[in-house]
Parts: sequence; C-alpha cells; structure tokens
Amino acid sequence: MAKPVVIVVGADKGGVGKTTVSRTLLDYFSANNVPTRAFDTESPRGTLKRFHPDLTEIVDMTTTSDQMKIFDTLNSGTPSVTVIDVRAGLLSPSLASLRDIGFLDAAKSGQITFAVFHILGPSIASLDEIAETANFMQGAKYFLVKNFINNTSFFEWDQSTYNSYFHRIKDATELTIPKLNEMAYEQVEVASVPFLKFVANKGTHDEAANYSFVLRGYVRHWLANVWSEFDRIKLTDLVGSGKPGARGEK
Amino acid sequence: MRTTTPVYIICSPRPLVGKTLIARLLSEFLLLKNGNVVAFDINLKEPSLLDYLPRVTETAEVDDTFGKMQLMDRLIVNDAVAKVIDLGFHAFDEFFRMSEEIGFVKEAARRGVSPVVLFVADTDRASARGYAMLQQQIPTTTLVTIDNEHVVRGELPPAMAHGRVVRIAALPVFLKTYIDRLTFSFTTYLRNEKDSSTELHQWIRKNYFGFRELELSLILQRS
Repeated sequence: MAKPVVIVVGADKGGVGKTTVSRTLLDYFSANNVPTRAFDTESPRGTLKRFHPDLTEIVDMTTTSDQMKIFDTLNSGTPSVTVIDVRAGLLSPSLASLRDIGFLDAAKSGQITFAVFHILGPSIASLDEIAETANFMQGAKYFLVKNFINNTSFFEWDQSTYNSYFHRIKDATELTIPKLNEMAYEQVEVASVPFLKFVANKGTHDEAANYSFVLRGYVRHWLANVWSEFDRIKLTDLVGSGKPGARGEK
Repeated sequence: MRTTTPVYIICSPRPLVGKTLIARLLSEFLLLKNGNVVAFDINLKEPSLLDYLPRVTETAEVDDTFGKMQLMDRLIVNDAVAKVIDLGFHAFDEFFRMSEEIGFVKEAARRGVSPVVLFVADTDRASARGYAMLQQQIPTTTLVTIDNEHVVRGELPPAMAHGRVVRIAALPVFLKTYIDRLTFSFTTYLRNEKDSSTELHQWIRKNYFGFRELELSLILQRS
C-alpha cells in the first residue's frame, strides 16, 4: 500500500490565497489521476467544500473527534493523498496539535509523507510566520508559496530583508503562484466550480456552461503556470505517483 | 464540408500605414460578396473605420478585461459572418499578447473559426519586431503581408516577403484624397462608374480580385 501523504495548506494571515492554492492542488492531482481527499477547516461553512464538494469534508481541527477523523483514517486505503486547507490563524496551532499527537514524529521516521504549503502574503507580518512555522518543520517538506494576489514583489528589492526571511529555513522550497486576472477569478467564484471544469466550460454537474472564452483562456494559462510550478517541485514524485501524467487532453 | 467563419485582423504596430483603408476595402468586398460582414474598430488615435462604415462597424477595445471579453467572445463564434478587425497601432501588442495567453488561434481552429492576420508592412524597426512576434504566434499560412505601395516605396523587408503577400498599389494623390472622403464607397463607385477603364475602377477591381484570391487559397488550404 502507498505511503499516506498529508499536505497542509495554510497561513496565519487571512486573504493570502490558501483555498485558491488548495483548489489548484486538487485540480492538479485530479488531472494526474492521483486519488485525493480534502479537509476544509473553515468550519462550519467551507470555501473549498463549495468548489470540490465530492472530495471535501468540513472539519474543526481544534476538536479531537475531527483530528481522529483525519489522521486515524490515513492508513485505511485510498485515497492516499490528503489535502488539508487550514483556516487563517490556525496554521501554527494545527502544527502544534500534530506534534502533540505524534504525527510529526511519524513523518520524521518516514511512515508518512508530510508537506506544508505555507502561503505568504505581501507583508512583514506574513513573513514573520515563517520563523514560527520553522519550529515544526523537521521531517516535513516545506514549501514557501509566494502567492502574487497583487503586484507585490515580496521584498525582493531589499535583498537583506528577503534573505532574512526566505533563507531562514534550510531546505525550504520556494514556489510562485502567478496572479490570475481579477475578472476571471471572480467568474470562477460565481460559477463555484473547480478551475478545471471552468476551463472545460462545464457546470457543477458537468453540464455545458457558457463562460467567457477570454476568461477561460486566462484561467487555462494561469493554471498551466501554477501546474508547471508543481511539476518543478516534482509534486507527483512526492505523493508517489511518478511523473506527471498525460494531462494535455484535460 | 464544415462551414468556417473567417476573422481578418488588419494590423501594424505603426500608425498611418493604411490599416483603415484596407479594412474598408475588405469590409466592402465581403459585404458585396456575402451580403454581410461585421467590422470591429479598435482605433482611438487614427482615422476610424466607424466613420466610414457605421452600419457594419462596432467599436471595441482591448485595454481592459471587459473590453477583451466583449470582442473576443464575439470573434470566437462560428456564425458564418466574416469579421474584419481594424486593429489600431496602440492596441497591437496588447491584442496579440492576450490572444497568445488565451489560446485564441487553437480555440478558433477547434470551433471552425479561421483567423487571418493581414500585417501591413513598413520598413521600420517596430514593424520588423511586430512581424517577428507574429511569426512565432500565427501559422505561416494565415499570416499575410500587405505591401501597401504608398507606405513601402520599394522592396519589402526580406523577412516579410517570404510568405503570402497582397499588394496594394499606390494611387495618385488626387484619387487618394477622393477615396478618403467619409461618404466614399468602393462598391458604390464600381456600380455607378460606367467607364471601367478609369484608374480608380481598375484599382478597386484589382484589390477585390486580390481578396478573392486570398479567400480562395485559404479555403483550399483548409479543405
């Protein structure tokens, strides 16, 4: 049986695009035929659940029963990949809980593959979280995700500030999520469908839709760029499914 | 055979090279031949197609996403009505950047829409760069160079002379002024002028014939 994989997507700040990145991950795994389940910790109403209702369950990660629901089922078979979209402000507490239940030790000993996608916002406060999160990262694959939700430069113009944050954690991998055209983003929001379905001009139940060709084009182009980043970090290798599949047809 | 809808994009990164003149000629030719045409005027800073052919012309813009949606979502429809775009020089880069990003050429092929880019040549650096960019993006068979004798007085730049070329002969200044009047119509002139030997009569007929040749060759390529 494949080793279970847990991917936590989080940040301690809100509005930095955690759910957007989680959605691109679910689309990526779907396109690469990697069976995946997802947990949305935005209890009681989850945004991720709205876009991927079939894969997603809403949980409250602060309760023991829901922690059991996620982690006690990791070895129970397929799907082997679990994506957890952690609500704003809960990343550090969640990682602390994982440490307390021995999950991080299991990751360290190689029983579980554990990855954290830490979504950064364009502020020093957001960057300060890196130091906080770093304490939990032994045994985990740590991805620092620069999400370009606006025209921020993530302090690249100030090399000393940039280095003091981005080079703080050894073996952290940087990832760039480009900016998606605002109208295209809003149209997908309104449609409440995965990005893949939007590109394919399909509605919630796979019925033919009538989205703008221009907006679909922008989403397709953006999604391809995001996925090329996932390819670059060899995400399919990480989850044990080998090379990215022939997803061109999708 | 499946019907396809041609979309003619008349463009240049340079102002005042005759884009609107060619858009007028082509629109009138298509109107005469098919009975319908829809033209889009993306010109804010040049003589406007809208002033010449208000009945068949709509204004469009590519400065913002909403404008792009309004234009491109119309262009991608296979409705058997030929489209002509008079693309102003200021919109050249943005239009083709957007087309590339949204995959216009590929999606058009899938839907039975045939974009044809008519690039109005000039000898300057901006034109050379613009043409090179189009060569990367547009299939050779649908990238056509317009050699407007009034603009390129002599040989075409070698890079632009390789593919398909449509030549537009220069008119004497007095005839140029005559056809530049907003009320002038090429087809009406052909119909009303009894003497078919006049220079303007022959010039219009030659250009219409050139467009017909171009259209036929594109149909043959697709079949």
